[in-house]
Amino acid sequence: MSENSGTNKFLRIFGIDSQGRKRRDPLNVWVPLISIALALVVGMIVIAVSGRNPFRAYALLFGDSGLIPGGSAWPREFAELLIKSAMYIATGLAIALAFKGGLFNIGAEGQFWVGAIVATFFGYWSPVAGAFGNMATALGSMAWIAQLLHGAICIILGMLAGGAWAAFAGFLYVKRGVNIVIGTIMLNWIAWFLITNWLVTGPMTPPTQTFTSGTYYVADTAKLFRIMMPTRLNTSIILVLLAAYATWFLLYKTTIGYEIRAIGHTANIGMEAPRAQGINVNRRIVQMMFFSGCLAAMGGCFFILGMQYQFPNTATMGYGWTGIGVALIGQSEPIGVVLAGLFIGALRTGATSMQVANIPKTFSNIIEGLAVGFIALQVAVRYYLVKFLQRRRAHADPPAEQEAAA
Amino acid sequence: MKALEVRNISKMFPGNLANDNISFSVEKGEIFAIVGENGAGKSTLMNIIYGIYTPTAGEIYVNEQKARIRSAEDAIQLHMGMVHQEFMLIPRFTVAQNVVVGDEPRKGIFFDYTRAVREVKELSDKVSMTVDATAITGDLPVGIQQRVEILKVLRRGAEILIFDEPTAVLTPEETQDLFVTMRKLQSQGKTILFISHKLKEVMDIADRIAVLRRGKVQGIVNKKDTNEEELARMMVGRNVVLEIPRVEASVGPVAFSCHDLRVKNVRGMETVRDVSFDVRGGEIVGIAGVQGNGQDELVNAMIGFTRPTSGSMELNGKSMRLVTTAELRRQGMSYITEDRARRGLVMPYTVRDNSVMGQHLNAPFSRGLRMDYDKIAEFAEGKVKEYDIRPGDVTDTAGSLSGGNQQKLILARELSLPHNFLIASQPTRGLDVGATEFVYRKLLEEKKSGKAILLISLELSEILGLSDRILVMFEGHIVGETTPDKTTEEALGLLMLGVGVDRKVVS
Repeated sequence: MSENSGTNKFLRIFGIDSQGRKRRDPLNVWVPLISIALALVVGMIVIAVSGRNPFRAYALLFGDSGLIPGGSAWPREFAELLIKSAMYIATGLAIALAFKGGLFNIGAEGQFWVGAIVATFFGYWSPVAGAFGNMATALGSMAWIAQLLHGAICIILGMLAGGAWAAFAGFLYVKRGVNIVIGTIMLNWIAWFLITNWLVTGPMTPPTQTFTSGTYYVADTAKLFRIMMPTRLNTSIILVLLAAYATWFLLYKTTIGYEIRAIGHTANIGMEAPRAQGINVNRRIVQMMFFSGCLAAMGGCFFILGMQYQFPNTATMGYGWTGIGVALIGQSEPIGVVLAGLFIGALRTGATSMQVANIPKTFSNIIEGLAVGFIALQVAVRYYLVKFLQRRRAHADPPAEQEAAA
Repeated sequence: MKALEVRNISKMFPGNLANDNISFSVEKGEIFAIVGENGAGKSTLMNIIYGIYTPTAGEIYVNEQKARIRSAEDAIQLHMGMVHQEFMLIPRFTVAQNVVVGDEPRKGIFFDYTRAVREVKELSDKVSMTVDATAITGDLPVGIQQRVEILKVLRRGAEILIFDEPTAVLTPEETQDLFVTMRKLQSQGKTILFISHKLKEVMDIADRIAVLRRGKVQGIVNKKDTNEEELARMMVGRNVVLEIPRVEASVGPVAFSCHDLRVKNVRGMETVRDVSFDVRGGEIVGIAGVQGNGQDELVNAMIGFTRPTSGSMELNGKSMRLVTTAELRRQGMSYITEDRARRGLVMPYTVRDNSVMGQHLNAPFSRGLRMDYDKIAEFAEGKVKEYDIRPGDVTDTAGSLSGGNQQKLILARELSLPHNFLIASQPTRGLDVGATEFVYRKLLEEKKSGKAILLISLELSEILGLSDRILVMFEGHIVGETTPDKTTEEALGLLMLGVGVDRKVVS
């Protein structure tokens, strides 16, 4: 395997190679693929047992998932796939980054919504929105500059807020020993209820509206650019790919990433090699949580600025939870997260179509759950895969084995 | 009768033939030692005999019957028992509970603790191993804990006992106690396999000795027909000078000093009490002491892991009492740890990535935020050659190296940091003869180049051979200071145990 071949360079850019592992372990790619395949097979059985035709179900599911081009509905499906995936990739990256540092940031959900509400606020708040509105008018045909700036400000502030929300959990962890899982999960509910039960139904609701209508709508200048008319596909997918690259760069090219991964490798109780070498472990953990929160919050910004244009009263939790699955399927590598996010996005996009054939939407959730389940069983999957490969090798080269056995 | 025989055992790991066609047999009632350097395949072999690994090829005979050992349960069925290096004891259980765990006496559906205590007492009387059956295991000294482990194995009916480096965690006195126990077991007809790399001990206790090198049996010798030098030669394949040469160096200014230092351990007990000493450039100061007399806490304070409760600490004239590890390292401290897995290396990281940890923020290894892995690789390649770190591929993980090579990697890293004060905490623990010699040579080179070195060790020969001054630590105090030419192992040993120490000073 030549280190400099084009393919390898490509894979390396996207982080398949985690810095200098000599023999890139092909199992890291095979395990998620096999887990997904197993999930699809078991999913088929489940559908069949429920008395429905699994082939028809899958034909509908994947036919309308946006993955397969063709048909008049395809552009819309493709757009939906990418819009959904962008958010799952964002939360997936957040969780993957924390995993790399040895922490389970289960709080991506809360950070997502903190990002969303802050982006909403700066999207409509008149001092900001008004200023950019005037700017757009003044610029005339160059109004896109105002849109670019306003959108960027909303996303940046949303990300900072989500990052701070996560960093607070990190701070509690390093200073007070609050378990990160407990800390982030608590902060999830605090964020969620503060936002949905107070902000969205109270101070951020237009006075003329009823309390069920959600917040003010963001100004046009805050909305993400649409990049494939007439669909609502927006720049979120591009931004999230940049974020994936940035995450990879952070992990594998910077001093911070070097330290984060060292901490992650030694996060088991009592391992203190990085600390003994003078790495400020506590500071890095807080920083890492901050970056992680920024990534999750980015997804929340997409939700508002790319899809809803307000914080709706009907928002339901789940983006952060989905991110856990995405990070697991993606093996916590940025490129893996991107691919896993697209896979989950496809399942969610195609799910609606299955209903036409009287197949409940939840079957796609079952497949998702099964895929994560098989990933969780990856030790077993690895074990049987290695055994299978060994048997094949023994088969291909029998004399040595027999000689040894004799 | 042959209690145990292995024939043509081989074990292949990916890319590594750990055991290569090993054959030997052990007579009933014999103490049979297996010696070899770290990574020679001793542990693999024991794990095969005990059913934890499946051999790639070969057969095992127990009591001259072909045995199929596929798991530790199979081995126990065949009356084999393993005393592990890391004890498999539950610290909060009493001795009796630990001994019977897994095969508890019952009264109906309830655990019959009274009977467990009685059984354990009877058993320990039978093999004359005194141990308090009702004591909490975690409170006992390591040597006694090991007895608990042995009792556990005996209670399961073990006739063949495997001791995997049992002395690694023991003090010299505890080792002697263990040998007394082993002889007693032998006299009761038990067969013992003793794994070690300490030649002196092997010569002390074994009847016959098998030497392993790179997975192969180099020879099986009778104890009375051999000597330490011959065994060492067989182990490393060349003559090893176990003598430590004297190196003279001119003594420079004080690099590190501490005054009336007091440190508490994690449980809040003061384990370092009023410790004062200084270390000058060009000298090695040795701290001798039985494990657990405050050395760990002293080191923790010196490397910035715990804050001393009082006293002062100075490195190159600057107060270092309240600073971080990073600051200490910037001021010129290097640290070689005995605990390579916990503190020394990030095991899943490559040799390359480990080689610069601690100086990875310095040029040329990084510029600003950006790591320069090419420069780091270049540096690591150089160090791998200079320190002969094997197998020599910088993209291998640190965890895949043998103990000796891991220690070489730590030395390479710590000695290449800009430093003038080196803390060497049990730098040869768990190392084989070759690697130990290497560490000694490096420490002496350091001394010659004018570095100040603090050596903490449990090995008296090491303290006496390397140190210019010796401090003896006992119950948190420095109870004596001497020089190697004015003392002997015996005299030091007595001081280490607090004999002749004014009790008023101590309490």
